[in-house]
Amino acid sequence: MSATTQAAHAAHRFGLGEPDLSTIGTDPQAWLLSQIGPADPQAGPGGARLHGTEDALKIHQDARRLASPEGRDALRELIQADLRARLATAATTRRPFAERLALFWANHFTVSLLKGTVRGLVGTFEREAIRPHIAGRFAELLSAAVRHPAMLRYLDNQRSAGPNSRIVERLQRRSARAPDAGAPRLTGLNENLARELLELHTLGAAHAAGAYGPWGGYNQADVTRLAAVLTGWRDTFDADWHEPGEKWVLGRRYAEGPQALDAIVSDLARHPSTARHIATKLAQHFCADRPDPELVNRLATRFTETDGDLTAVYRVLVTAPQAWQTPETKLKTPEEFVVSSARLLRLGDRLLGRGPDAGLAAMGQRLHATPSPAGWPDRAEEWLGPEAVWQRIEWAARLSDRVGSGVDARRLAASALGPLLRDETRRQIDRAADAPQALALLLMSPEFQRR
Amino acid sequence: MDANPPKSSSLQSPPPPDALACAAAAGVSRREWLARSTALAAGAWAGLTAAATAASSVDARLVMVILRGGLDGLAAVPVPGDPTFSVARGALADYGAPMLPLSGPYALHPALGQVHALYQAGELAIVHATGLPYRERSHFEAQQLLESGGMRPHELGSGWLARAIGGSRGTAMALQSAVPLLLRGPAEVDTWAPSVLPDPSQDLLGRLEMMYAADPALRAALDRARALRAAGVPPPMGMASSPMLAMAAPAAASTPSPAQRPGLLTVLAGHAVEFLSRPGGTRVALLEMGGWDTHANQTAPQGALAGNLRALDGALGTLHAGLAAKGLWQRTVVVVVTEFGRQVAINGTQGTDHGTGGMAMLAGGAVRGGQVLADWPGLSPKDRFEGRDLRITTDLRSVFRTVLHRHLEVPMARIDADVLPGSGPLPLLPLLRG
Repeated sequence: MSATTQAAHAAHRFGLGEPDLSTIGTDPQAWLLSQIGPADPQAGPGGARLHGTEDALKIHQDARRLASPEGRDALRELIQADLRARLATAATTRRPFAERLALFWANHFTVSLLKGTVRGLVGTFEREAIRPHIAGRFAELLSAAVRHPAMLRYLDNQRSAGPNSRIVERLQRRSARAPDAGAPRLTGLNENLARELLELHTLGAAHAAGAYGPWGGYNQADVTRLAAVLTGWRDTFDADWHEPGEKWVLGRRYAEGPQALDAIVSDLARHPSTARHIATKLAQHFCADRPDPELVNRLATRFTETDGDLTAVYRVLVTAPQAWQTPETKLKTPEEFVVSSARLLRLGDRLLGRGPDAGLAAMGQRLHATPSPAGWPDRAEEWLGPEAVWQRIEWAARLSDRVGSGVDARRLAASALGPLLRDETRRQIDRAADAPQALALLLMSPEFQRR
Repeated sequence: MDANPPKSSSLQSPPPPDALACAAAAGVSRREWLARSTALAAGAWAGLTAAATAASSVDARLVMVILRGGLDGLAAVPVPGDPTFSVARGALADYGAPMLPLSGPYALHPALGQVHALYQAGELAIVHATGLPYRERSHFEAQQLLESGGMRPHELGSGWLARAIGGSRGTAMALQSAVPLLLRGPAEVDTWAPSVLPDPSQDLLGRLEMMYAADPALRAALDRARALRAAGVPPPMGMASSPMLAMAAPAAASTPSPAQRPGLLTVLAGHAVEFLSRPGGTRVALLEMGGWDTHANQTAPQGALAGNLRALDGALGTLHAGLAAKGLWQRTVVVVVTEFGRQVAINGTQGTDHGTGGMAMLAGGAVRGGQVLADWPGLSPKDRFEGRDLRITTDLRSVFRTVLHRHLEVPMARIDADVLPGSGPLPLLPLLRG
């Protein structure tokens, strides 16, 4: 494989596209390896500082409690600023591989503003729980993600109490004194976070593993007991909500108290099912919908022998021969398509001229409002519905009408796609009726849609 | 069939003649059946073949409604006639408004007024204490199984409805951008969703088609999207001027409040009616709705569950009114399913955690309605699955088998071998007329 074909793979499969492949240099693997580290800090327009979790919680609470128009506006602005920051950072970063990893992990640990209590917190979750931790130990990333208020709220741990906790006993006493006030609204556990922590974040669901397992290895009792371990973790740890006594999960004993979360996170991160689950998801995301099981084996082995050192795992991924195979079979998600279009055209903030999400919602991917805790789909076929492809064409046509008149799509196709550019695509772009149409053809070409 | 008292055994009715015909074919080897079913794949669904040749609109219509997240079947279809119901459900048994009575011990959530009217008209049936051959309470595994139709999650990678339809083009449509697993497989499936952007020029589309010679998947998607629009898309934003809106207004219900305003599901149901009524067009439509994972605050009368049920109710009312106006309701079956039910008892946060048994609904003129079909297991802790969930006494695949064979006329041998492999021993249910 020539260096430039490797450069094209590095740019598209591991990155977010580059307008000129020559920026990658002569050693595309080194270009990728040099990017591994915490994701770039996000910033607002003109480098403005974005709010942290405490600010966001306050704005969120004001909007809900005061129910004033000003409060709602402040919350809406905050949500839009988070969206803008996510897209603008991805569209301009010089470390697109790190950005892709951040997007991967944000999706792995999905939180979504479709849950009302999470509104305004998705951006701070990504900035504080995900982006700084993507290249450290998996246990640190997991710990940061699980204990962030956005996750605790999204998966209902905020409201889960030990059945024998002080808060539940207090509510029962109060209810006994004033029976007219009705039964207490809070009586015990909510299993939501416990189940998804096992199924989605760490061990995986056993049946889903296919050729890549074994995953899983837990039962309903483990879920319920893990829920008891997690009680008390609300925006911060509140001992009144915590279930007293020791708990047994997956055959191990966990003492009462907040430190049990660290212990169990550490044990879950070291579990062999977790290594295989994470290895599979990484290989599926970056290489192929059905990756070579040997690659998954190597990633899982590295994960285990380094105690979950993600940098070591990424190095195996980037240097594996399977990662450089042609042809490209993955389809960009709508977000990857929009961001790579912006990078191709060096649009920067102009990408966001027509709204904070650049039109992504119309393509079926409403950012920060993921429909399920399993995250956005990662397989090509799940984005290949006729309507989904049609919506991409509509979006590409509109963007091209807006910015395409000054663009030389022929030159751009050659510099951005290099040896990936097929003769037929080049021919169609050459023969386009006008410059905007040529650009739309480039954006919708198989070479630009796939990675 | 009418009332089903607790512990009834309404599933013991003899199998319909078609099931026996299948048994008579047992002399044919499995290999021969597979070969035959492959040969039949393009037009194995008899109702579809009739449509393709006669271009008539008198063939069967199927609407699948998938509720993602795990609808609490006992919340939607409570069982106040079960003496253990109120104790088992606690605060969940308090609806803040009268339940709508059904036959036997069963009732409906107060938000399901149009569902209730259909039931009383004999055009809606409920299957209770039903579920998949899966007991592990993961959304994602259960949904995979609900749509793939296998015995265990992920053992099949395509959708059972896609396999039933075979390679027929343009028969099925999902009212959303992506193709859900249920319709992924040999069928070439359309998807459609309302758009606010102007259509791209025909010139651009023609050039893209040439470019996609190298990428068959993109080419197929573009071809289908173009064909749909060439046939004339129902007006996406013009609902106000459409007669559909008048039909969508609940005739039986009282004055709609803002909370009862038809939601997105209702809008999509209106579009589904348009697609289903085109000659030679869509015969199978899929609608889906998320937000049923009610871990908390499930009891609130204005909460998420009540709102979702109102949306579902409105969508079913729209399907009924629209398809009836087109003269298609008598040939229609609407199947409403979810991946699992929820635990019987309330959890610590006024909600319910994941469970197993739940309920399914069938609506349509072709449905033998006005009945709740259930081998009711009871709700006391000893009667629950693992002391926790409504026990599954009817395999949901029996419902699918019944609709596939009796409504879509898919041969039993194909259902057993290809569409729902491993479901062979399950009985057909007396859910359809005729």
